[in-house]
Amino acid sequence: MTANDDRALAGEYALGLLEGEARAEAERRIVTDEAFAREVRGWQMRLSEFDDVTQPGTAGEDLWRRIEASIAVPARAAAAPSLWARFWNSIPALRAGAAAAAFAALVLAVGLGFAVQAARQQPLMVAVLLDGDRAGAVVHAFADGRTVLLPLAAIDVPPGRALEVWTLPSRERGPVSVGLMDRARTLQLQLRDLPRPGPNQLFEITLEPAGGSPTGRPTGPILFKGNTALAL
Amino acid sequence: MNASPQDATEAQVAAALARCAAGERAALRVIYDIEAGRMVGVARRMLRRQDLAEEAVQDAFMRVWRAARTFDPQKGAARTWLYAILRNSAISILRDEGRYTADEDAAETAAPMTENALARLPESSALRRCLERLDAQRRAVVVLAYVHGLSHGELAGRLGVPLGTVKSWVRRSLISLQECMG
Repeated sequence: MTANDDRALAGEYALGLLEGEARAEAERRIVTDEAFAREVRGWQMRLSEFDDVTQPGTAGEDLWRRIEASIAVPARAAAAPSLWARFWNSIPALRAGAAAAAFAALVLAVGLGFAVQAARQQPLMVAVLLDGDRAGAVVHAFADGRTVLLPLAAIDVPPGRALEVWTLPSRERGPVSVGLMDRARTLQLQLRDLPRPGPNQLFEITLEPAGGSPTGRPTGPILFKGNTALAL
Repeated sequence: MNASPQDATEAQVAAALARCAAGERAALRVIYDIEAGRMVGVARRMLRRQDLAEEAVQDAFMRVWRAARTFDPQKGAARTWLYAILRNSAISILRDEGRYTADEDAAETAAPMTENALARLPESSALRRCLERLDAQRRAVVVLAYVHGLSHGELAGRLGVPLGTVKSWVRRSLISLQECMG
């Protein structure tokens, strides 16, 4: 590729004209190829003049509340903090010492309790996420709209990295991030803004920088993947 | 050029992003207070509907919160990073044909749409000067793709030319533009 080809490609990406595989490929290059990433940033900066002169719209408290709710969730089960507080206050002995051990035990207890509660209900849709023939996790989608990931194996996460869970609601939309965790754990997935998972919908776990993929699309290797099937 | 208020905003957003990276939720609110109105405006320019624009902004803030740690101020401006994320969110909604119905109200043709967008840029703008050097249709493909988020296919439709022609116009326009702007 000539420098001009790359420059034009970076410009097409910044314009939003790349789709499907071409867009995914450009996003991978942004992470791995600093020269290309610089071209993309150059275009974003040149074209951003249009954004600076665009008439602002209204952004009220309502929108802020939705944003707050959507970031309140990530790596912990939603119930964990309040349970944590109750547990802590109810057992004064815990306050005396062994805080780290108690915390570890609590996280485990909350995780197990959550898993048991999840298991009590029959899921509508199940996906087993595999690496070859090794099962890493299972995804359960329930009738009430909750979708939960349950780990089946420990996953090696290098420092500074995280595990990100993705689903592919449709080819056109591409992969959407539905969860982020620092290690394999029971995780409530965020599918609220997506259609209910249907049969044969892909779920996968990739290794990403801590904090999640910088591009909003998978950039790291796929560790486990699988498709949903109707639970009988 | 009256650059200093913009520099101040940039510094505020960059500082708030660093605090987001440390997990400080109040810092995300700071960014919201500074930028969300303009972000809704930009998203609405592309998506045309307030509800979809808000959805794009919500998605963008979620991505900003998660990715704040990956922002590197050495490599570029915080606001450019912010609006690139917003653009990705808006484009994802636009290209999701399952749910987005393009508003074809507009018998609005390419030429006035392009000129309106250009006219908003200040006279002193290098982007404006360099775009004005291009042929009208070659200017239109770049402006409409950026400003209104049109795809290759939609550009071909609006301009009444084959897809391959649009693709080659875009590439050549980008190369000329880069040469002109440096």
